[in-house]
Amino acid sequence: MTTTLINTSAHSAGYTDKLLLPHWAEIVKIIPEAEGVTTLIFKFTDSEVQERYRFEPGQFNMLYIPNYGEAAISMSSDLESANGLLVHTIRHIGNVTRAASRLKVGDVVGIRGPFGTSWPLNTIEGMDVVIACGGIGLPPLRGAIQRIIRNREKFGKVLLLYGARTPKDLIYPTEYEPWQKAGIEMQVTVDRGDENWTGRVGVVPMWFYNFKVDPHKTAVLTCGPEIMMRFVIFEALARRIPSTHIYVSLERNMKCGQGACGHCQQGPFFICKDGPVFPFSALENIFNVEEY
Amino acid sequence: MTDKSLIIGSTVALPKPELDLLMADLRKNGFQTVGPHVQDESIVYTIINGLKDLPRGILSEQKPASYRMILTGKDRYFDFIPAGQSWKQFLFPPRHTLFTVVKDGKWQLKENDEPTPRYALIGVRACELAAIHIQDKVFLREDFSDPGYRLRREGLFILAVNCLDPDSTCFCASMGTGPRLGAGFDLCVTELDEVFLVEVGSELGRSLLGDRNYDLPSAFIQNTANQAMERAAESFVRTMDTRDLPGLLTGQLEAERWTEVGKRCLSCANCTQVCPTCFCWNATDQVDILGKSTRRERVWDSCFNPNYSYVVGGNTRPNIRSRYRQWLTHKLGAWKEQFDVLGCVGCGRCITWCPAGIDLTEEVAAIRAEVKA
Amino acid sequence: MVHAEDIQSALHKIPWFNELTPEHFQKTSELAHLRHAKAGETFFREGDTQDYVYIVLEGRVSLDIFVPHHGKVRFCTAEPYDVFGWSSVTPGIRQRTAGAVAVLDCTVACLDAEKLRQLAEKDHDFGYLLMRRLANVVASRLMVTRLQLIDMFAEPTETLND
Repeated sequence: MTTTLINTSAHSAGYTDKLLLPHWAEIVKIIPEAEGVTTLIFKFTDSEVQERYRFEPGQFNMLYIPNYGEAAISMSSDLESANGLLVHTIRHIGNVTRAASRLKVGDVVGIRGPFGTSWPLNTIEGMDVVIACGGIGLPPLRGAIQRIIRNREKFGKVLLLYGARTPKDLIYPTEYEPWQKAGIEMQVTVDRGDENWTGRVGVVPMWFYNFKVDPHKTAVLTCGPEIMMRFVIFEALARRIPSTHIYVSLERNMKCGQGACGHCQQGPFFICKDGPVFPFSALENIFNVEEY
Repeated sequence: MTDKSLIIGSTVALPKPELDLLMADLRKNGFQTVGPHVQDESIVYTIINGLKDLPRGILSEQKPASYRMILTGKDRYFDFIPAGQSWKQFLFPPRHTLFTVVKDGKWQLKENDEPTPRYALIGVRACELAAIHIQDKVFLREDFSDPGYRLRREGLFILAVNCLDPDSTCFCASMGTGPRLGAGFDLCVTELDEVFLVEVGSELGRSLLGDRNYDLPSAFIQNTANQAMERAAESFVRTMDTRDLPGLLTGQLEAERWTEVGKRCLSCANCTQVCPTCFCWNATDQVDILGKSTRRERVWDSCFNPNYSYVVGGNTRPNIRSRYRQWLTHKLGAWKEQFDVLGCVGCGRCITWCPAGIDLTEEVAAIRAEVKA
Repeated sequence: MVHAEDIQSALHKIPWFNELTPEHFQKTSELAHLRHAKAGETFFREGDTQDYVYIVLEGRVSLDIFVPHHGKVRFCTAEPYDVFGWSSVTPGIRQRTAGAVAVLDCTVACLDAEKLRQLAEKDHDFGYLLMRRLANVVASRLMVTRLQLIDMFAEPTETLND
């Protein structure tokens, strides 16, 4: 006996009491990105699920590899760019994600999703947008970048700041030029460069010193290590950008994806359900409390 | 008296041996009767068959880190205050299979199709009933419902009991959850020396009671019961000042007290296990030895577990201070914003079953004092 | 030869210079000159004596340190309106501790460090403005360095096998 049909963007589960059951998805393509980072592209084996599955950039899936467990992985593209397929750029760092690195095209995994809140692209139409991200924080924003490019005329100036540890850790390097051609100003920075690196060496938050923003019409989307986001937020607030216009994507230990198991809580929020994307104004009281 | 004279809200005087027959009726109707039973030098909730399995003549005495049973020799079955178990183990089992996957060429998913037990809970106290209602808000939501919990909850029969002898660790009165029962039961019992005073709370309760041999309660019986309940309501020694409780705790995240209690707390997770509202769980794969099938199991978890909040690169709550703070600020703070009700029902179990004897009412009072200072 | 007007119009583009009094601006522009460097040209090497303090007007300059077994590590870049080589103006070590090389074609304003120091000693009002500006440069550079030191993108040393 099933309960409510899920009325939000079409979920793989279909019903609210099936949210803990994975649907099988096959790997159709594997793209190595950087050391320890791979993009896996999936298609549900059940064509009916594949047909109705919808998601928004910023959301995530729970990836299930039997015998290993589940990991929360952000959507790494928007729906249209991948023709409805599920694109996930994964850093192989934990038990499940390392198992994912051993998968081959044709292997089948379980997917539950999509979960969480998305980047509020509708809300920030008409504004200038600063996208500040680093490391593995770029994949969750890529879908937003693609959506913005698809609707470029709806936004003002768009500036993408991206940082990584070293030049060889940069993700999606072949897309930087197409993005810039599509009207996204992009600045790449690395923590340290080698002799062949002619780009910027520094950290993402410092970019705010090099350009002027109009605080009344600028929105900031940021995703990456929490310390990087903390300084991006600091610089943005210092330039009087209201905290309601600064959006962050948080990460916590996630198990169920729907605010039922308790693990991902920070303060009153379930990061999986009330986030992972939040306006900073919602987090102001809890974000900087140590070990909260 | 005929069946027809009972309606929801009726109260009858039931001779105590009739309870045995009522429980037998429940079993005939497919229910498993579970209730309190003396075992392991404590009182646990397990399958019971009748009065003989109940803790007869047992009074309880609790204080921080201590639970004692006192033999009274009386022919009374519900004088004790419940011990370290709660009813959540029946609606939200400590181990529960979510699904099984079998590799037959490719992976096949098999949902959990075990038959759902129908439980009749015998002896639910006001705080415990309030806790069940709180867990309903967690597991039965518009955007998510746990199928296991829902089926068990739908089939549940609740025989509630009014507490007449609160222990020193009880503070349900402060939390507005007791000692007197509100709504939500099928039958509600107030025990007197000679009889059970039973109130009908639902149609199912009405029809089951209707088959029993009861009398209309005399005025004396009603008065005795009322007096007993009034005495109970006045006998609380522990209180919790709940004024602005979410605000107080979330505004005092850097209070000295957290560091202090962090030194006493062992992070043993007892409190979360005995707490009737705590709901955190983990899901793990139980792999069969040949690797051909895996059972995804949901198990109880606790925010005190060191790796509960592990993320890649580290633990966001690496020490006991931060974990205790999380537990208390969630239970008495964030819970309200999440589920529109505080997560504490004032049962006092966490105080009794904490090996370090930490008393959350004392912690809250200490934090309040820090604000004033 | 670069004309005085060229250097002055170049300096006027830099916000700090517009805070100076006309007299201070004049004196500073007299100890400054423009340099156009092609990508790959070196400004100074580790161990060189410190002669100039530089302000990037166009292009990008990278600072590097030679680390045995790692080659030249580029730990910092200067973008338009960034200052580099500021240690020649602050009291202390008189040898360069890093190298500076143009990574893109650049236009850079070069200020004679010795003369700048002398000007600051003689005229404390000017000296204060100079040091105040340098304090900000160093502070922001320190903040960047701290974040680089935290190495936030590094592979974590502990992972949990859940």
